[in-house]
Amino acid sequence: MVVLNKEQKERYRRQIAVVGEHGQEKIGKTRLLIAGAGGLGSTAALFAAMAGFGTIRIIDPDRIEETNLNRQLLYREADIGRPKADTAAKALHAMNSSVDVEPVTAAIGTAPAWDLIRGIDVVIDGLDNYPARFLLADAAWKCGIPFIHGAVEGFYGQVCTIVPKTSPCLRCIVPNPPPVRQTPVIGVTTGVIGCVQVTEAIKLATGNGVLIMDNLWLWDGIRQKSDQLTIERIPTCHICGKNEYQIPPRERVR
Amino acid sequence: MKVHVKAFATFREVMDSQLDMDFPTGATIRILLDELTRQHNGLQELMFAAPETLRDFVNILKNGRNIHFLAGLDTPLDDGDVIALFPPVAGG
Repeated sequence: MVVLNKEQKERYRRQIAVVGEHGQEKIGKTRLLIAGAGGLGSTAALFAAMAGFGTIRIIDPDRIEETNLNRQLLYREADIGRPKADTAAKALHAMNSSVDVEPVTAAIGTAPAWDLIRGIDVVIDGLDNYPARFLLADAAWKCGIPFIHGAVEGFYGQVCTIVPKTSPCLRCIVPNPPPVRQTPVIGVTTGVIGCVQVTEAIKLATGNGVLIMDNLWLWDGIRQKSDQLTIERIPTCHICGKNEYQIPPRERVR
Repeated sequence: MKVHVKAFATFREVMDSQLDMDFPTGATIRILLDELTRQHNGLQELMFAAPETLRDFVNILKNGRNIHFLAGLDTPLDDGDVIALFPPVAGG
C-alpha cells in the first residue's frame, strides 16, 4: 500500500483536488508499460511521470534522430545519437524522481512479449506498426492486462482501451491494418493522442470515469471533429472469441 | 431505403465526413461503393487496389460490424444502416 508522504501531498495537491488522496495513491501503485518512446510514447511517458504513476517501463530499440525532434518531446538536440529508452528514462527521472523508471532498449518481437509485460498493470501503445501492436496486445489480453491503443497519421489520431474479457481485442478493432511505413505526422497530433491515452490510464488506475471501450475514438485535428465509432467483438476472433492463444506465423515483426 | 455513411481520416480528403444515401431494396456494400466512387473523384484510387479488390487497410463497418466478417462487398444494406468507412492510422 502506497501512502502519500508530505512532499507528495504538496506535489500533487492540485490533482488530489481532482482524483482524491486515495485516487492519487492508486496512481502511485500503478505500473505502466509504455511501448515505444517516439511521439506517442514520449508524450504519454511525460504526462504519466507528472501524474505520479509508480512505475514506468519504457521500451524502444532505436536511437534519437534529428527527424524525431518535431514531436518526441523528451529529447533535445544534444540527445541525437543516444538510445531513446535510456534518454527518456533520464528525462522522466528529472521530471519526477519518485517514479521508478525502467528503460528497456529492445524491439517488440525480439524480446518475448511475456517478459516485457511481466509485473505490469497497464500497457500504453506508442508503437508505429501493427505487427508489433498485435504481438503485445495479444500477450496483454492473455495476461488480463488492459492495453490502451493509440495511433496517429498527419492530423488524425485514434484511441481505444482494450480490457481483456470485456471489450473487443485489437484484432477486432483493426482487422485490416495499414502496411508498415514511415507515417507523416505533426507533433500536436502525438501530443493530443498521447494525452488521451494517459487520461485512459488514470481512469483505469483510479477506477473512475468512462473508458473508450467497445468503441474507437477518432480525432481529426484539421477539421476539429471527433467521433466515437462503435466496434463489436468478432465472434470468430482467434484472440477474444475463444480462450486460446496463438499468434499466426505470418505476423513477424520487422 | 436510407443509409447513413460516415467517412474518417484520409477518406475525408476526397469526400464529406457524413452523407445520407438512398438505395433500392436489395442493394449491397458493393453498390454503395460504386455510387460513392462515382460521386467522388479520387475515392476509387484511395479505396481499391484493383477493380473489386479493396485495399487491405480499408475497414468498412456496418453498424459496428466489419464487413470482412459479414459477406464482404456482398453484405446487404438495410434501412437505417450506419456504414463507416475507416482507414486506421498506424504511426506512433
